[in-house]
Amino acid sequence: MAVKAILDKEVIDLDMVAEDKESAIRFLSELLYKAGYVSDIDGFVKDVFVRESEGITGIGNHVAIPHGKSDFVKKVGIAIGKTKNMITWESYDEQPVHYIFLFAVPSDNENATVHLKLLSELAGKLGNEQTMEKLEACKNFSDLTKAFE
Amino acid sequence: MKIVGITACIAGIAHTYIAKEKLEGAAREMGDEIKIETQGSIGIENALTPEDIAEADVVIIAADIGITKDRFKGKPVIEIPISLVMKSAKGVIKKTHEKLER
Repeated sequence: MAVKAILDKEVIDLDMVAEDKESAIRFLSELLYKAGYVSDIDGFVKDVFVRESEGITGIGNHVAIPHGKSDFVKKVGIAIGKTKNMITWESYDEQPVHYIFLFAVPSDNENATVHLKLLSELAGKLGNEQTMEKLEACKNFSDLTKAFE
Repeated sequence: MKIVGITACIAGIAHTYIAKEKLEGAAREMGDEIKIETQGSIGIENALTPEDIAEADVVIIAADIGITKDRFKGKPVIEIPISLVMKSAKGVIKKTHEKLER
């Protein structure tokens, strides 16, 4: 299976409106809830912030990868949001972010190995400079799938 | 230079794999050969073989969790937190060169 198989239009918004970190994570969590990836928005958001308190998720180049391992995740997924404005976020390059990849991972992931593997491959691509340049130019879902090909 | 290494973060979901990619990119840019084993939530991937380790000039362990180092006896081992790779993988590779050439 290709990495792009894990991308789901339902949980991607490249014209996201969010003022701050809290509202961005909440907005993406709501998308995940509506699309059936998570069972409880508040519970999931809380677990994402537990991970946030453990270390930096701003990976540089204005990208952040918050991730929640949570009992409220029904299936592995990744919500993606891009804002026009920059959002203050703890980052390795000390810059704010405008591209947010919210990873949803179930606490018990024994049956999710295939999807977790895709998630790890996608994460790997975020460490690749060429992919990051392509991402910056993405305008829509189809661009995004190409960037991850 | 031949580099082998391990990346591992606490959750084992994202940083482990990003750090692998960053180290590989930085090493290749400097003309090094590199192989990185990931120890994440899906277990060990791209596992280092005894041959990989025997041929390596140096071992880089970028981890926020405990990693067994028995396999690397006799090799120079550089241990760093994964955040250093996330901040500057190129810096890590450069420092590795400096250390070995000393």
